Amino acid sequence: MKFHLRVFVEIENLGKAMNALTDSGITGFYIIEYKGMSPEDWEGFSIKEDPKSAITMIKDYATDAVQICTVLNEEQIPIVEESVNKALKDDRYTIIEIPIRKIIVNYGGQEKKSKEVDVWFLEKKVPCFYCGEDTAQRIRIDMNKAKIWCTNCGATRHYIVKGSEKPGE
Amino acid sequence: MKIEPWTLKKSSKCYNCGDATIHEVNIDQYKMTIKCRECGFTRYYNFHILETPE
Repeated sequence: MKFHLRVFVEIENLGKAMNALTDSGITGFYIIEYKGMSPEDWEGFSIKEDPKSAITMIKDYATDAVQICTVLNEEQIPIVEESVNKALKDDRYTIIEIPIRKIIVNYGGQEKKSKEVDVWFLEKKVPCFYCGEDTAQRIRIDMNKAKIWCTNCGATRHYIVKGSEKPGE
Repeated sequence: MKIEPWTLKKSSKCYNCGDATIHEVNIDQYKMTIKCRECGFTRYYNFHILETPE
């Protein structure tokens, strides 16, 4: 099943969040800038009902924030959550995951431009060569590169594609 | 630092033959190979860099 994932971050953490999402294998996204107040900040507020007061209040007190939205497969979600948590451990963020019933895409008679990007994720539970902990070693394979990292200590081995061989050539 | 070789399997669409097949993923310290069981198309990766936690 596919999910609509929304990551809410403060505007200064947009870069960090984007890098974390790219690292965990998302291939497309859109962002929405907004001004918002968290329930803790909002609690106890009451505003005058004229539009001017309401707008001034939002300008003065609301925080600039960004919502990063993407669609991904269910099995990618734990990887994204872990990656975002690692990058924004000391910052505020909110993740909302919404299951999708159906997606309809119309290319308006044009061919789909780019080839679908296929990223593979694999996992193997073995003792880490660096920290020695018997924990999941996660493998990400792209067309031109690959990496293997320990989910406990974060030690990462990077590989680069050298070439490919087609049978009979 | 001795890294044991791993053998894994991944079911996915092959870049060469386009079929949904099983790929054999062999990883060791210096190289990684991914081979389609159906058509034999193989991709080779070389070890590049090691990143250790601070």
